[in-house]
Amino acid sequence: MNATEVVFVVLSVLAAGSALLAMTSRQLVHAALWLVVTLGAVAGCFVLMTAEFIAWVQVLVYVGAVVVLVIFALMLTRQGREQGSGTTAEVTGNRWIAAVLGVVAAVGLGATTIAGFGGERIEGRRIGTAASIGDALFTDWVLPFEILSGVLLAALVGAIVLSRSGSDR
Amino acid sequence: MIRRWGYVGITAVLAVVVAIWAVPELGRDTVTFVTIGQTGPDGGPPLPSLSPDLLIYPGTAQILLLAVGVGLLVQIYSTAYLGHHPRYRSYALVIVLFLIAMIAVVGTTNLWVLLVGWEVMGLCSYLLIGHEWESPVARAGAAKAFLVTRIADLGLVMAIIVIGETYGTYDIVGAQVAQSEQPRHATLIGLLVLVAVVGKSAQFPLHTWLPDAMPGPTPITALIHAATMVAAGVYLAARLFQLYADSQVVLTAMAVVAAITMLMGALFAWVQTDLKRALAWSTVSQLALMLAAVAVGDPEAGTDHLLAHGVFKALLFLGCGCVMLAVGSSALSSMGGLRRRMPVTFWTMTAGFAALAGLVPTAGFFTKDSVLHAIERATDGDRGLAAGTAWVLLVVALVTTFVTAAYATRLWVLTFFGAGHGAGPHGTLGQDVREAPLAMAGPLVVLAVATFALSVGQPLHLGTGLLSTVIAVAGVAAVLVAARRGSTLAWAPRPLAAELWLDRPFSRWILALGTGASRVVVELDREVVDVYPRGGESLAATISRGLGLAQSRNVQRYATVLAVGVVMLVVIGVVVS
Amino acid sequence: MSLLYPLLLSSALFGIGLYGVLARRNAVLMLLGVELMLNAVNLNLVAFDAWFADRMHTGQVLTLFTIALAAAEIGLGLAIVLALFRAVRTVDVDEVGR
Repeated sequence: MNATEVVFVVLSVLAAGSALLAMTSRQLVHAALWLVVTLGAVAGCFVLMTAEFIAWVQVLVYVGAVVVLVIFALMLTRQGREQGSGTTAEVTGNRWIAAVLGVVAAVGLGATTIAGFGGERIEGRRIGTAASIGDALFTDWVLPFEILSGVLLAALVGAIVLSRSGSDR
Repeated sequence: MIRRWGYVGITAVLAVVVAIWAVPELGRDTVTFVTIGQTGPDGGPPLPSLSPDLLIYPGTAQILLLAVGVGLLVQIYSTAYLGHHPRYRSYALVIVLFLIAMIAVVGTTNLWVLLVGWEVMGLCSYLLIGHEWESPVARAGAAKAFLVTRIADLGLVMAIIVIGETYGTYDIVGAQVAQSEQPRHATLIGLLVLVAVVGKSAQFPLHTWLPDAMPGPTPITALIHAATMVAAGVYLAARLFQLYADSQVVLTAMAVVAAITMLMGALFAWVQTDLKRALAWSTVSQLALMLAAVAVGDPEAGTDHLLAHGVFKALLFLGCGCVMLAVGSSALSSMGGLRRRMPVTFWTMTAGFAALAGLVPTAGFFTKDSVLHAIERATDGDRGLAAGTAWVLLVVALVTTFVTAAYATRLWVLTFFGAGHGAGPHGTLGQDVREAPLAMAGPLVVLAVATFALSVGQPLHLGTGLLSTVIAVAGVAAVLVAARRGSTLAWAPRPLAAELWLDRPFSRWILALGTGASRVVVELDREVVDVYPRGGESLAATISRGLGLAQSRNVQRYATVLAVGVVMLVVIGVVVS
Repeated sequence: MSLLYPLLLSSALFGIGLYGVLARRNAVLMLLGVELMLNAVNLNLVAFDAWFADRMHTGQVLTLFTIALAAAEIGLGLAIVLALFRAVRTVDVDEVGR
């Protein structure tokens, strides 16, 4: 086990632990902040797997945009009775089924990957720099990229329509 | 008032049309077809058809004139009798409908048209008996009349089908032509026709509906339940006589029915304490006399008596209506001493009672004499009926003549003579007891004149005529003597007063049978048939409750189910592969 | 570096995200669970790209696409949640169903 692997395991534990906290925290804003930790740790994992550009995008988009959006949404939808105590049951009645399903999914996926890729190793032969990713994106993947811009536009319009339609009334 | 006369006008137009049609046929002996449309008596359209053709021969013309004449008089009478009734309009229009149906029954050559008219008459009878439907008695009487005559209608339908299947035509003339070539199924047809006649003409054992129909308005009783509809049964028997004339069984059955009914009706009429009900039983008895004429093979005599009876019985009922209007009741106990107060009613009803009793100058005497003569001729035994049966029938008819004269005299005496014993609600005749208005008295006079006028040109049979006159005079005299001696003429043995309990099968047994059967059907329906819908219902409820669990309206439950499904699919995939 | 580490982390994140989606009552946090699951997928893609090392950088490019789609998804999802909140004054999925 070399140094890279040690760092990766540490980041992995950080990511998994903070994700668990994010999904079980009773304080909604705390949950969002724990998610920031998870996403940051995953971004570190990306760096360790030689995908530095993806790591930056992860930080920019997820940590910078998505989590901020989520925190805004949490604040906008804050309900009166949750403001004071913050200790109302934040999970539903079927949490035990959900927990079992989560464990089953994790164990199942883990077992599958162990069985399938037990001895494989990452060599780091092709570094995912901005240059190489950009090169691939604008040569081989240019058509899906353009289509994606259309999807984003549609999502933008849809979000505006959805949030405006209520306020008109 | 003007609006009321409008309905009289409609009836009058109908009467004039029929008169234009029928009067020229009165003197003729030949049969005339009035062909409407392209069909004729032979070469008609394929079976079954509803041809509107009318067949008019002398007997038909007389009956048509009787129907529309009495109908017109009844309409005039009703303007005064019932003019202020809130449902006068429907009443008057149903009378017109009834007359049209009667014309169809009497005039048609097509058996199905006859059936339609027959049914419409039954419907009109039901509606008019139940005209005062606020009274439970009227409702019950109407329902009873309708249900009992339904049995008769069933007989008629069966008879029509049998005739059609036997002779290949539903045309009366066509069937008669085919019958004259090769008679078939005479007994069956005859018995079915007899069922129809027994129900419609209120003969034994289906006679009980007619007295119970008396809660209907009195003019209606005069028109439908004395002059026309009940007589239509006898008319049918006479009309189809040729088809079953060869069957001794049918003629014997008819004679037996007629004999029983005639004597029974006369005796019941004697014991009644209600003028209108007594006249109803009298009608039953007289219809039996007509049927007897058909049974002995002389339907002409039967229809002649039908005509005379229609006139004088309508007269009696209309007079009864005048009396009822004056004293406010139809009970004999509230009448008496009306002779001076109501002279027109008295004299006209006297003529009517004389005709009923069969006294000489009236039409009733001559036609009854014809019937008796026909029965007397049948006693030689070569007219289809056995001689013994005919003798019995003759004796019964003569006894009936005596009883008829006696009850006619009794009713006459109790209504118009005496000092008004126990009369009226206040014990004496009130000041308001006076002669009926012109619209009611006028028809009485017309009918009284007709009672005498119809006897012109009637044949006279000396032997039976003398015999019946002697018997009738004896009956009248006996009652008059008894009345002179102070008798209250209330001799009524209990079985007769209870009308021999003949109504019991209808009022109790059939009712109990029907109730029991209905209860069984209801139980069957509830316990057996309903199991399927109820089972289906509970099955559907269980299934939907199960499905409703899935429809929790909770997104996370749906997602959970989805996830479970995915996991299970993966597990199954791994295990199988 | 062993390929198993990122794959196992991805499995763990996916299970945790699934639990979050199925168990949280708050609709916004349900969406966060979805984001977690998407991140697990991203991790998988990047790991396999590094292991496979093809010329087109398929895994990493697809990760970019996924991130973009996830951003679009969270935008729409939050718009829906806000509309829901305006309609029924709650984002509690249990109470919304009633």
